[in-house]
Amino acid sequence: MIEVQPLTPLVKRWSKHSKLSEDDVGALLALPFTRKTFGRDAYIVREGQQATECCLIAQGMAFRQKLLRDGSRQIISFHIRGEFVDLQNSLLEVADHSVQSLDRCEALLIPRSPLLDLADKHPAIRRAMWIDTLIDSSIFREWVINVGRRDSRTRISHLLCELAFRLDGSGDGRDGRFDFPITQEQLADATGLTSVHTNRTMQSLRKDGLIQLNAKSLTVLDWARLREVGDFDELYLHHQL
Amino acid sequence: MPPGSHPLSGFLRDLIAQVPLDGADQEAILNLPHRLRSLDPSSYLVREGAIPLHCGVLVEGFAFRQKTTGDGARQIMAVCIPGDAVDLQNIFLDISDHAVQMLTRATIADVPREALQELILGHPAIGRGIIQLTLVEASILREWVVNVGRRDARERIAHILCEFAVRLEVRGLASGNGFELPMTQEQLADATGLTPVHVNRVLKGLEADGLITRQRRQIHYGNWRALQDAGDFSRTYLHVPGEDELQLARR
Repeated sequence: MIEVQPLTPLVKRWSKHSKLSEDDVGALLALPFTRKTFGRDAYIVREGQQATECCLIAQGMAFRQKLLRDGSRQIISFHIRGEFVDLQNSLLEVADHSVQSLDRCEALLIPRSPLLDLADKHPAIRRAMWIDTLIDSSIFREWVINVGRRDSRTRISHLLCELAFRLDGSGDGRDGRFDFPITQEQLADATGLTSVHTNRTMQSLRKDGLIQLNAKSLTVLDWARLREVGDFDELYLHHQL
Repeated sequence: MPPGSHPLSGFLRDLIAQVPLDGADQEAILNLPHRLRSLDPSSYLVREGAIPLHCGVLVEGFAFRQKTTGDGARQIMAVCIPGDAVDLQNIFLDISDHAVQMLTRATIADVPREALQELILGHPAIGRGIIQLTLVEASILREWVVNVGRRDARERIAHILCEFAVRLEVRGLASGNGFELPMTQEQLADATGLTPVHVNRVLKGLEADGLITRQRRQIHYGNWRALQDAGDFSRTYLHVPGEDELQLARR
């Protein structure tokens, strides 16, 4: 088999912040999973469901969201290859939000109990899982301030900086160019803006030579300026861990 | 804190609500080394970018988490109530990514970071309880993203009042149909992404519509259902111990 073990990106990511022994890595790679492909906007987890498995992104991107009673949607976070989107479901009984596929996305569904067993028996893995959920929280805090206190141009630039930084960290970028299969509507839902407003803001960032947006990819043309416009400081991503 | 009670008893109660803890576990928590200190309103427990050596448990009083944008605007992203461990994330994260400030005069028990790290290693059940507390906190943060991102001003304020009422009630800190809101209108504005003027107008509107009455910082609500409705509030995201199961049984 030439194919890379689909759990390898997770091992790679966790190894950055936690010392995993050979035994830990072996146990991680032995986790059972079902592989499933989702189309654009397809639901991976629905709010209110009982959580029986955790979802790891193997290919593509997914996002967490909540729907409001008037039908509007708020996107709460984006998740890239090698990340769990709902690790909290391994410990909290009810899913308090939904997870959708951004574009076409391939996910590994890992049953809850072997994952918990693994965490119980391997302290280093438990620690890695924990750090993951803590970094998630840190990102949520940043999103609260992003939608709460930044203007639309800053908000969108901030979000683009975050995604570029994370994709770069996972080795999914090349010379500032990233796969970015996001729609204006999804971008609007992540920043608490309207699609029209988002569209206008993206146009102006493009016109100012900060980014280039093709059908499914984003190129950051001027990282220093995009950071400045986006009031972006990567501290909250805890990449130094 | 009631006279004679242990400063960490609120934290212990909170953990026991998450996971069953045996006698040894409970004793280990109460035996955590800690130093009590009193902090004035607005004073900082942790500053953004600091390298924390302690985790603070809020023994008495209220605190909030905040961040400031490059141009100086402040956003509050959580309110901490008595019994909350304020910065459990410091157990594993080396740099504080936000600041914690006191809302009121408060008593904090500073627990050394290493003592908590050791506690978790030696007592897996406590570790699990602490993880669950941090996960519930994350769930509340997600709801706040929604609140400031997609709700109008009236819903935002009503929602935050509902959240506060439920959290205080669960801790036994609210009585009847009311509670004390230890926040100024400016702080409410910073928690909802609004201006203080707007908050003032919304509070008056909620009052005029008979949803709340205010006496200084005391908030009363006559019709809980109506207030929840005004705030588009559903308590599931608070993962109140024991309620997740009920939620599933109802489906």
